[in-house]
Amino acid sequence: MLTKTSPEIGGMGHPIKRKEDLRFIQGKGNYIDDVQLPGMVYGQMVRSPYAHARITAIRTEEAKKLPGVLAVITGEDLAKANLAWMPTLFHDKQMVLATGKVLFQSQEVAFVVAEDRYTAADAAELVEVDYEELPVLVDPHKAQDADAPILRDDREEKSNLIFHWEVGDRAATEQQMKSAPVTALVKAFFPRCHPAPLETCGCVIDFNSATGKLTAWITSQAPHAHRTVFALVAGLPEQNIRVISPDIGGGFGNKVPVYPGYVCAAVAALTIGRPVKWIETRSENLQSTGFARDYHMEAELAADKDGRVSALRVKTLADHGAFNAAAQPTKFPAGLFSICTGSYDFSQAFCEVDGVYTNKAPGGIAYRCSFRVTEAAYLIERAMDVLAQELKLDPAELRRRNFIPPEKFPYPSPLGWNYDSGNYQGALDLALEKIGYNELRKEQAEKRKRGELMGIGISSFTEIVGAGPSHTFDILGLKMFDSAELRVHPTGKAIMRMGTKSQGQGHETTYAQIVAQELGIPAADVAIEEGDTDTAPYGLGTYASRSTPTSGAAAALAARKVREKARKIAAHLLEVSEEDLEWEPGKFSVKGAPGKSKTIQEIAFAAYTNFPQGMEPGLEAVHYYDPPNLTFPFGTYIAVVDIDKGTGEVKIRRFVAVDDCGNIINPMIVEGQVHGGLTEGLAIAFMQEISYDESGNVQGGTFMDYLVPTAVETPSWETGNTCTPSPHHPFGAKGVGESPNVGSPAAFVNAVVDALSHLGVKHIDMPLSPWKIWQILKEKGVTQ
Amino acid sequence: MAIKIEKSFQAPEAAAEVWKILSDPRSVASCVPGAQVTEAVDDRTYKGVIKVKLGPTVTDYKGEAHIERLDDQNRVIEMIGKGQDVRGKGSASMKMTGMVRELPAGGSEVVTISELNVVGILAQMGNRMIQEVANQMFEQFTKNLRQRLQQQASGTAVSGAPEEVKPIDAGSVAASAVLGLFKSKPKE
Repeated sequence: MLTKTSPEIGGMGHPIKRKEDLRFIQGKGNYIDDVQLPGMVYGQMVRSPYAHARITAIRTEEAKKLPGVLAVITGEDLAKANLAWMPTLFHDKQMVLATGKVLFQSQEVAFVVAEDRYTAADAAELVEVDYEELPVLVDPHKAQDADAPILRDDREEKSNLIFHWEVGDRAATEQQMKSAPVTALVKAFFPRCHPAPLETCGCVIDFNSATGKLTAWITSQAPHAHRTVFALVAGLPEQNIRVISPDIGGGFGNKVPVYPGYVCAAVAALTIGRPVKWIETRSENLQSTGFARDYHMEAELAADKDGRVSALRVKTLADHGAFNAAAQPTKFPAGLFSICTGSYDFSQAFCEVDGVYTNKAPGGIAYRCSFRVTEAAYLIERAMDVLAQELKLDPAELRRRNFIPPEKFPYPSPLGWNYDSGNYQGALDLALEKIGYNELRKEQAEKRKRGELMGIGISSFTEIVGAGPSHTFDILGLKMFDSAELRVHPTGKAIMRMGTKSQGQGHETTYAQIVAQELGIPAADVAIEEGDTDTAPYGLGTYASRSTPTSGAAAALAARKVREKARKIAAHLLEVSEEDLEWEPGKFSVKGAPGKSKTIQEIAFAAYTNFPQGMEPGLEAVHYYDPPNLTFPFGTYIAVVDIDKGTGEVKIRRFVAVDDCGNIINPMIVEGQVHGGLTEGLAIAFMQEISYDESGNVQGGTFMDYLVPTAVETPSWETGNTCTPSPHHPFGAKGVGESPNVGSPAAFVNAVVDALSHLGVKHIDMPLSPWKIWQILKEKGVTQ
Repeated sequence: MAIKIEKSFQAPEAAAEVWKILSDPRSVASCVPGAQVTEAVDDRTYKGVIKVKLGPTVTDYKGEAHIERLDDQNRVIEMIGKGQDVRGKGSASMKMTGMVRELPAGGSEVVTISELNVVGILAQMGNRMIQEVANQMFEQFTKNLRQRLQQQASGTAVSGAPEEVKPIDAGSVAASAVLGLFKSKPKE
C-alpha cells in the first residue's frame, strides 16, 4: 500500500480537480487554430474524388490567377525536392501529394496556399485534374485474387499482400482442435472506425530564414518523434527544428502519424517565406487521416465438455488501405494483437494475420487502444460467449473456469507475453455483485416467457499497455522509453517537463500528484510542461496508455533522485548523518527526535543558498525510464440491454465497469477516463462505421453518417475498482485510459446477442444499428 | 455507387406524340433539369453538360451520350451516358431505357429504367440522398416533358432548342430528401 499524503499535498489517490480545466472551461486553451503569426497564410488540400485513378494532367493556371493565391504545389513539384513520398511509421511509404495515380478517395493531390482560408478554398476548386479511372479494390478478401488490380506498382513485390505474420504453435494448436470434444467458431468483423477527435489535425509552420530555424506547431501526440522524422525526411538539422504540440483537443491515436498536410505546409513555408497554417475540415479528418480497426477475424476455441478451453486459433485479415500507415512498434505487424488469449489460461494458441492493401484511406492506427488490443479483446470475449452458448453454460461460469488464477502470475502466455499481475476472478465477482447478476438472469428467463427481449453481456478483458521495453519495442528504431525532467525552485515550487503529450488525459494534474507523492511538494505547486521539443526531454509521446507506465515511472524516479539529494542537504542542515534521517512525504526528521526536521521547501531553499561544500548546487533530476515489462490492466464490464421489438433499437439499461489499473493516481480522473472510453465504445458498438461502396466512395465521411454520441444516447455508467498493483512499476500503476474502449464493445455485443440467443442468433457484427437488429427480428419472426 | 431507378408516368397524349420527344435527344435533354446538349457528334452520339447542385457542391458533368438502340416500332430507346465533373469532383454514368406504350383507355404511359453509377464527392452523400436527388430530377423531368407535350399540342413548341441550363435546386433537394426519408417504408 502507498502512503497516503495529506489533502494539502494531494499525492496519489486524491481526487483533486484537474488543473488544466481552469483554462479549458474558460475558453483559454491554446489549440493549433489559436496560433496566429504575423504574415501567416493558409493552405488547402485538393483531394481525389476517385479511389483508384491515373492522373493524366493537373492544371493549376486558373487557381494561380485568383487574387490572393500564392502557390499551388503538386506532387511533381515535391518530386523535384524528393518529397513526393514520405515514410509511414510502419515499414512503408506513402505519397505526400499524388504522382502518377491516386489510391483512395480524398487522397492529397495538390496544396494551394493563399492569403486567407476562403481564397485558398476557392482556389482549390479551380485546380483542374484529369483522371483516368482504374479498377477499384474495395474488398480485402479479393486483394490476393489473381485478377485483383495491383495497387502499389511502386513496390517491388507485385502483390497486394503487405505482410503475413504468425505467432504460436500451429501444429500443437491444430492437434488440440482435432481432438477436442467441443469447438466453437466465431467470424467477427471489427469495422473500420475513426477516432474523430473534437479537434481535427492541423499545423502552423514557420521558417526563419535568418536563423534557419523551423518552428512547427503540430497536433502531435509524439512531438519528439515528429521532430526526428522531419529531420530525417527533409534533411534539416535537428537542432533547427522545434516541434510544439500546444493544447490538443483529443488524439486517440489519430494524431500519432505524420500527415501530408504537415509536410506540404512546411514546404510552402520554406518556399514562400511566410508562416503557413493548415487545418483539416471534419470530412478531411474522417476521410484521409488514420482510421482504426478494419480487422476481419476468425477465432476457434477447443474445449472439453465442462468448458475448459485448451486451445485458441485465430486467423485475421487486416485491411490497411492504400499505405500501411499503422503507427505501432516496429517488430509487430499486427501490433499487440497476440494478446488475444485474453484473461484465460489456454495451453496452446496460434494466431496469424495477413495485412493487405485496398483502395481506402491509409492506416490503421490504435484508436484509444494499445496497438490492436481492442480487436483482440473483442474477439476473445465474443468467442467465449459463442462457446458458452454452444455448451449451454453461463458465460460468467465459463470465464471463471478458464481464468488465469492469481497464483500463476507472472504468467507466460502461449503467444509470448509475460503478464505482470492479475486477479480476474476478483473483478468479475465485484461486477456480478454490483449488477445483481443472478436476479437479472431470473428476470431474463421470465421476460423470455413473455416474449420480451433482454440481454446481459459480460466482457472480462485484459489489456497490454505501456510500450515498452527497449529490447522489444521501437518505432522507426526509436526505443520506446520515456522521460521526466524535474526542477525544484528555491522556494520549493517545481516544474517538471515530460516526453509525453497530453491530449486531454489530465497530465498536468496526475504527473504533479506523482511528484507530490514522492517529494511531498503539494501538487498545486508543481507545474507540468509537455509538447515543446526545445525544452522537454526526449520521449515517444502519449498513446497506447503509455504515459503513466513510462513517463509516470520516470517522474517518480526523477523525484526519488531529487529526494536522495534532499536527504544529503537535510543531513547537512540538521548536522546528522543521512542514516539518522527518516522520510515522510514533505520532510526529513531525525530518528527519535521528531521535532528536529527540515521540510522539502527548506531543503530546496538550501540547495541554492546553503548547500554543503563540494556539492553540486541546485535541486533537479532527469530520468529516462526503460520499462522492464509491459503492464496488464484488466477488468470486467457487464451490460444489460432491452431490445425494442418494434424498432430494433437497443436500450442500455445498465452498464457496470469494474477496472483494475493497479494503484490509482487520481480516482476522479480515472473515472472520467472510464466514462469517456465507455462512451466511445458505445459509439463503436452501435453507431459508427466508415464503409466504402463498390467504387470506393467513402460512406461515413461526414458527421451526418459517422455518428458521435451525445448525452442523449449515453447511458449512466456505473464504475468500480479492484486493485492489483503492477509488481514492476515504480508505484504499481498500470494505465487506464484505454481499458473502457478495449473492453466495452464485447460487453455490448454480447448483451445484444444474449438477448437474441434463444432465437438461434450467435453473432452480429458491429455497428448494431436499429435497422440491422430489426432485420434480424424480422427474419426470426419476432417483430412487433 | 450504383443505383437502379424505375419510374413511370402517364400522359393524356397519344404514344406517338410522346415518342416524338423521347426519341429526340435534344428534346429529352431540354427536359432534364440542368442538362444541355452542346454538340451532335453523329446522329446517335451527343456531347453535353449537366449541372447538379447539392448543398455547397456544384458538380458540372461534361460528357457524352450515345443511343444504343432506337426502336421506333416498339418505341424503345436505350442510351448510355458518361460524364466527368470538369473540376475533378468525380464522374457519373447512366444506362437508361425508355419505353412508351399506348394505354387501352387512351393516352400513354412512359416507363424508364435507369442504372446510375456515381463516383466521387457526390457519392459520399450516400445512396439515400442520391436516390432522392434522382427522384427530384425525374419529377422535374416529367413536369418539363408534360409541359413540352402541351406546347407541342398547342403548336408553340420549338423542337430541340436548348434552354438555359439551370441546376437542380439544392434547397428543395435537401427538403425533399428529408421528406422522402419519412415517406419511404423500410424494405422488406
